[in-house]
Amino acid sequence: MKTEKFGSLKRKTIIYFVISVSSIVLIGRLFQMQILYQESYEIKSSDNSIKSLELEPLRGVFYDRNYKVLVSSNPAYTLRITPAYYDTSLNHIIETVIGTEPGYIKNLLLQNRIYSKFIPIKIRRGIDFKSIAWFEENSEHLFGVDYIIEMQRYYPADVMASHSFGYTKEISPQLLLKQKEIYKPGDYIGYNGIEKAYEKFLRGVKGFQYVLVDSKRKQIGRYLNGTEDVVPVKGYDLVLGIEASTQKVAEEEFKGKRGALVAIEPSTGEIIAMVSFPDYDLNQFSFFTSKNFLDSIYSDQEKPLFNRATMSVNPPGSTFKMLEALTALDLGLINTSYTIHCTGGFTYGRYFKCHGTHGTVNVITAIEKSCNVFFYKLIYKIGLEQWKAYAEKFGFGHPTGIDIAEEVQGFIPDEKYYIKRYGNEWPKSIMASLGIGQGEVSVTTLQLAQYISLLANDGKTKTPHFVRGYIDDKTESLVPFEYKEINTNVSQSALDVVKEGMFLVVNGHGTATHIKLPDIEIAGKTGTAQNPHGEDHAWFIGFAPYDDPKIAVAILVENVGFGGTHAAPIAKKIIQTYLNSFKGQGKTLDEEIVIYEKTKKVN
Amino acid sequence: MRIDYNINDKFDFGLFLPVMTLFALGLAAIYSSTVNNILAHENFQKQMIWGLTSIIIFFITYSLPSNVFRSTAIPIYAIGIFLLVAVLGIGRQISGSKSWIMLGSFGFQPSEFAKLATILAIAWYLSRSNCDIDSFKEILFTLGIGLAPTFLILLEPDVGTSMVYVSLILTMFFWKGISSFSLFVVLSPAFVAICAVFGTIYFIVALAVVLIFLIIFKKDLFFNASIFAFNLACGFFADYVFKALSPHQQRRIQAFLDPMSDPLGSGYNTIQAKVAIGSGGLFGKGFLSGNQTQLQFIPEQWTDFAFCVIGEEFGFIGSLAVLGIFLYFFLRILKLAHNTKDEFLSLVSIGILAVYLTHFIINLGMVVGLLPVVGIPLPFISYGGSSLLVNMIMLGILANLYRTRKNYT
Repeated sequence: MKTEKFGSLKRKTIIYFVISVSSIVLIGRLFQMQILYQESYEIKSSDNSIKSLELEPLRGVFYDRNYKVLVSSNPAYTLRITPAYYDTSLNHIIETVIGTEPGYIKNLLLQNRIYSKFIPIKIRRGIDFKSIAWFEENSEHLFGVDYIIEMQRYYPADVMASHSFGYTKEISPQLLLKQKEIYKPGDYIGYNGIEKAYEKFLRGVKGFQYVLVDSKRKQIGRYLNGTEDVVPVKGYDLVLGIEASTQKVAEEEFKGKRGALVAIEPSTGEIIAMVSFPDYDLNQFSFFTSKNFLDSIYSDQEKPLFNRATMSVNPPGSTFKMLEALTALDLGLINTSYTIHCTGGFTYGRYFKCHGTHGTVNVITAIEKSCNVFFYKLIYKIGLEQWKAYAEKFGFGHPTGIDIAEEVQGFIPDEKYYIKRYGNEWPKSIMASLGIGQGEVSVTTLQLAQYISLLANDGKTKTPHFVRGYIDDKTESLVPFEYKEINTNVSQSALDVVKEGMFLVVNGHGTATHIKLPDIEIAGKTGTAQNPHGEDHAWFIGFAPYDDPKIAVAILVENVGFGGTHAAPIAKKIIQTYLNSFKGQGKTLDEEIVIYEKTKKVN
Repeated sequence: MRIDYNINDKFDFGLFLPVMTLFALGLAAIYSSTVNNILAHENFQKQMIWGLTSIIIFFITYSLPSNVFRSTAIPIYAIGIFLLVAVLGIGRQISGSKSWIMLGSFGFQPSEFAKLATILAIAWYLSRSNCDIDSFKEILFTLGIGLAPTFLILLEPDVGTSMVYVSLILTMFFWKGISSFSLFVVLSPAFVAICAVFGTIYFIVALAVVLIFLIIFKKDLFFNASIFAFNLACGFFADYVFKALSPHQQRRIQAFLDPMSDPLGSGYNTIQAKVAIGSGGLFGKGFLSGNQTQLQFIPEQWTDFAFCVIGEEFGFIGSLAVLGIFLYFFLRILKLAHNTKDEFLSLVSIGILAVYLTHFIINLGMVVGLLPVVGIPLPFISYGGSSLLVNMIMLGILANLYRTRKNYT
């Protein structure tokens, strides 16, 4: 019954043609993909399935001088969002769970939109376990949300030293641009203090783990059983000159006060304690830093973030009298038999007061009693130029070079300055004020600490510093850092005279006899920085023990008046605490290694 | 009539062996893509069981008297339509389509079964002795038989399978001997309707094209005008239906017509599939060694994307082998259809060829990224019981036809 057209050869040929052409097209396509472009697909394929995971190295630990752990790291949960997979309608519920203000996530996503959408953004650190449990339970609805365990700074020794230690913070986009090869968005970097200055030592080297992932980016195994993995290298542990108990006492003594304290080991320049008050809680930075906390800390009138020990300058007051005495003695302008008569005042253009009538005084008594008249007269004998030269020898007028960066240099005026200010006929009466450390001269607490170290240690010390060295993980031994020697080259006899005066300040009939101790010989000097804006600031600088100085300390207490009353007692506490902890054991490098290894076992 | 007892004369190994080879390759691909998948590692065994069952049913179909297909065509078609209606009511929705009927843990897709039913019904209708393929009435009636299941499947919605139906209807029309003008009459409303969905400008252009063809064919004015009016009506109707759909259905249709409008949905699969095949190279990465496959970059790879496993693990050589086997297989069926003197069985063969070939072209075109992603399986290779079973029954009909071919000489 076949019609003419049914299943005709022509129609068969057309179908034959359709089959052949489609097969040829498909074969051509396969040839193109599998032979011609095989390589580029191969690259995509291996890129697809092998992911490198960054392994964060452990950040270096801070030890105090007795290998007590000051700053360490603890594991904590960090919540992350990968924008490419994330639905912003989840913002609200996540913000509620992690307890942040509305708009927090939106804001973070906005800040990070310059990076690839596939890089996870750290949303919040230090998430509590309850919230993590919630995220875990609801993970199937929370695309692009995950959490990782990160190390977070903590402070086991219960000392804050906020301005010295500093904190770590998520790297800023600006900084990231400069150091692209080391850091990634979301990495934490030392932001100030020692954390910043020693970032290179502390951060360690990132490791990489190569894992196989499936199409949902879920890890399903290790690549080549982990043989290609790069193990992270722990950051170096730092050994600090800080003595934990002394630092703690210093912090306690300053509670409710404003001011600064710097204690230095005179022979090494190592900082034993440093405080600046008011301070702030480093823990607030190591966790998620809430907006409220930042707002309050930035707007605080007391400026808690400001390091008063290195950044705040004041006239040194009477603490500067030793410098003047030393200059005159070293230059041979006076000796101990040189005396003046103090009648309670001094006239040079105008009347300058003394705080008492001291009668006949030599240089030792003048320091002991802090006789202004002696020093009013002496500065005219020395002249501004020599005075400034000696001030600079003792570290004033320029930064000390301390190993944490934030530091100001203070100011030591010279003749040029006054000529510029008042003309060639500048009033020489100004010099009388400089003679007692008032007027235009300004110093930091740190500079005064260095100065008292030099006085204590026969005119020699090293650049003040926090970090003694780092622990080499291979040899488990301390590798000390080198610090510049400072030598004032003043004569020993001049120094001895000045020291005797300082000894009598505490142990004779001086201005700080109330801090005299039966077992420890303290030498020191009180001072008062005149403050045109309010109550005067109190200074005390001192060292102990007198014969073999182990600690030199400079203390500033703001707006309290006379130094002997307010600053000196703190010095006593600090000296006592430190010398009790120290008990005079001189440690060699080998002994230090033994101590370090012992503490390692305990930890 | 000469009786030849040679087994080759009774049983077409040229059809059976290529299919068994493809099935074996499919099993290898399914094994490779599911061996590491906890949720799907049973699929290899399931496919084995389906395979054995299918082979038994193949032999049953093979042994049936050849006139049984013609006599049961209408009841089978009725059952097919019934199941397609039923699935819309009681079916289970799997990956967006309500295409499964579940009997306990055993599920099957009526749309697979209805393919065969539709082929038989159309073949039955077109092979009537008084059938004039170029009569308007006959065309409409045949279209009715073919498009009824097509629309029911579109409602599931399963666009890919609907396309297979359209393809088999057209192929059978063609084989029957439809004139180019009648073919134009059949195709033009569909063409206009699709263009209407795209937008007014496409609609107008489509109508202009229809007009040009009408002028070329030089039929009488009244006839031309009525065809043009019908086209116009189809266009408006399509537009009306499209706008009546819910927005998400509209998106699905748009995504189908214009795959770039939904790059994240099906685009991901295409990209991963291309990477898998492309990275296979000449010899492949070796059985069970394709990382794309083993790491499950392609969702449910053992179903529609099973060819990727072959491409990745057996390379260009393996792909070429699969394509070669299919090519041989298709030409074998074409030859069989051409040589068969019985019009019904010849139409059935060509319908079956159309089904296999459409699956082959759409599936591979999609896998290698030449065609939009339409979820239809690769015959004999992809995982799937109903599909394998129906394909084997159809193969059984072809084998049966070969066995009895001399009866019609």
